[in-house]
Amino acid sequence: MKFTENVRGALDGLNANRRRSFLSMLGIVIGIAAVVIIISITQGSQKSISERIEALGTNLINVRPGRRGGARGMRAQTLTDLFTVADGERILKRASAVKRVVPVVNRRLLLQYRDKNAEIQINGVTPEYQDVFNFWVEEGKFISDQDLKSLRTVIVLGQEVATDLFGDGNPVGQSIMVNGPSTRYKFRVIGVMESKGQVMFSHFDEQAFVPLTTAQKRLLQTKHVDSFSIQAKSKETASEATEQIDAILYQKFQDDTKYRIFSQEELLSTMGSVMQTFSIMLVGIAGISLLVGGIGIMNTMLVSVTERTREIGTRMAVGAKRSDILLQFLWESMVLCLVGGVIGIVIGWIGSTIIASIAGWTTIVSFPAIALALGFATVVGLFFGIYPANKASKLDPVEALRYE
Amino acid sequence: MVIFERSRKHNMIKAIDIKKTYRVGKVEIAALQAVSLEIKEGEFVSITGSSGSGKSTLMHIIGCLDRPTSGKFFLDDEEVGELKDDALAEIRNKKIGFVFQQFNLLSRSTALRNVELPLIYGEVNRRERIDRARVALERVEMAHRLHHRPNELSGGERQRIAIARALVTNPSLILADEPTGNLDSKTGQAILDLFQKLHQQGHTLIVVTHERYVSGYAQRIIRLRDGLIERDEKTNRP
Ligand SMILES: Nc1ncnc2c1ncn2[C@@H]1O[C@H](COP(=O)(O)OP(=O)(O)O)[C@@H](O)[C@H]1O
Ligand SMILES: [Mg+2]
Repeated sequence: MKFTENVRGALDGLNANRRRSFLSMLGIVIGIAAVVIIISITQGSQKSISERIEALGTNLINVRPGRRGGARGMRAQTLTDLFTVADGERILKRASAVKRVVPVVNRRLLLQYRDKNAEIQINGVTPEYQDVFNFWVEEGKFISDQDLKSLRTVIVLGQEVATDLFGDGNPVGQSIMVNGPSTRYKFRVIGVMESKGQVMFSHFDEQAFVPLTTAQKRLLQTKHVDSFSIQAKSKETASEATEQIDAILYQKFQDDTKYRIFSQEELLSTMGSVMQTFSIMLVGIAGISLLVGGIGIMNTMLVSVTERTREIGTRMAVGAKRSDILLQFLWESMVLCLVGGVIGIVIGWIGSTIIASIAGWTTIVSFPAIALALGFATVVGLFFGIYPANKASKLDPVEALRYE
Repeated sequence: MVIFERSRKHNMIKAIDIKKTYRVGKVEIAALQAVSLEIKEGEFVSITGSSGSGKSTLMHIIGCLDRPTSGKFFLDDEEVGELKDDALAEIRNKKIGFVFQQFNLLSRSTALRNVELPLIYGEVNRRERIDRARVALERVEMAHRLHHRPNELSGGERQRIAIARALVTNPSLILADEPTGNLDSKTGQAILDLFQKLHQQGHTLIVVTHERYVSGYAQRIIRLRDGLIERDEKTNRP
């Protein structure tokens, strides 16, 4: 029998008992809607997480001191006074996959402007910080090589710091006080950074930046740096850069617990696999509802086969082969599931749009998600249709015609 | 001219000693015991007998819906008992038209669609199907009810649709199992007139009935009793 006849016959069959068809579809509708919503949310958040991680600057690698202790109830402590600027210079010189190295010192210090104050993280950085983090000054200018050389007491504020201390006023050119652990300096504001918001765990807008040398020699009186923010030459060479950095640091410290290397690439793939595991788990749960839906379909189809025994007998009497009957009922359950699947996709789409607007999450209804959902529906229809369809096709024509 | 003779008065049906037993639990019921008969092309045969005498069972075997438990059954010189289910389905589709007591129409489908059904299984294309279904409906005087569903039609009209469905494939044999059983006598009469007309147009007809007046239309009356042919006689009808 031709395809169109099969589909038409299936639609006729479902039309005959619309309410029952619809009710038995519900399980599939809900299951498919759940699959679509889950996939759209996980894909959306995966995208926004990777966007955020990438917003940290391209090909970023972070080198931080290792920790000591932490075992037997002792509090883990980050090693201090480990790295020096020279380590960073060595990395830049010897690691061929590395493009830029920014040594960083940071502390939480108190800033004061007239009667207002704020305790925030102050970073001592070099001018290349902007490129490495892809984070740029918006007003005024950033720290220059000259500032670094002359240990100038200049400061660049993050957006929120600027509004906290100056309100609507222009901070550039104003003087503020920075309280170090043992000294107090007057700093001149030379710039305000663009707004970057929170990226992973750092709140960039609540920080301020001073020349590295000023921070080391004037504010903190230290020769050391806390960490290095390193930019690899490209995305492709990021893991190579990580290996090179590791080799260089190991050569110096002879102990790989003394330092830690975090690459953005690694972070991305970790997040990716976490999200994937999560979404597989959720889709699995949705799958259970599809299974339940499928059983509902099978039940409906079995009832339908029984009710239509005489019809089956009649069809056989006028020449339907067993395979024709089998296909007829398979088509019916598949069309039932596909119609349920399409309704589910529409509901899932609407649902994920609503979630996106209410919860403010990014959701993506992608073509593969829709294809997957439709595939699921078809498979469920086929799988749970086989038993009833087979039962129908095995009926004895005479018995079927005698059925009351 | 033997060949000519043979093809003119061709034995469409030949049953040799056919038996049909049903097993219900441990009891065996012999619905047919040793029935032999021949029916020629163009005959109008009536099968009568009391209820439970085996009429329907015989019809089902003649119509290739069922196989005999033993004995040989030939349709157009082909032994049916040895054929596979698919082959039987094809024979039913191409050579046989059934008319049932309960009409057995698809209740959700229009008259036209019901009549098209055998052609759908016969892989006839849509346009030709519709044309042929219309012609068949015209032949049973139902051309004005093409798009009605069975529940919008009277019993007699439904049976006419069912007869059109049996006719549409232009089968060599039309089998009717108590076609007037669910109709009042006047409507039944009209249906029988229709069968008479089909016979005159050259169709081979076998009509099962236990009503006396029905048999009056046939050329030949076969009387069954307890699964055996009790009497097989010609009437004086042309
Ligand atoms: N499927 C079946 N199972 C058991 N017994 C059957 C079956 N079909 C028919 N019979 C029995 O076979 C006998 C003949 O039945 P049937 O051919 O239907 O008679 P009729 O059509 O003449 O009334 C009856 O006794 C009936 O009960
Ligand atoms: Mg009967």
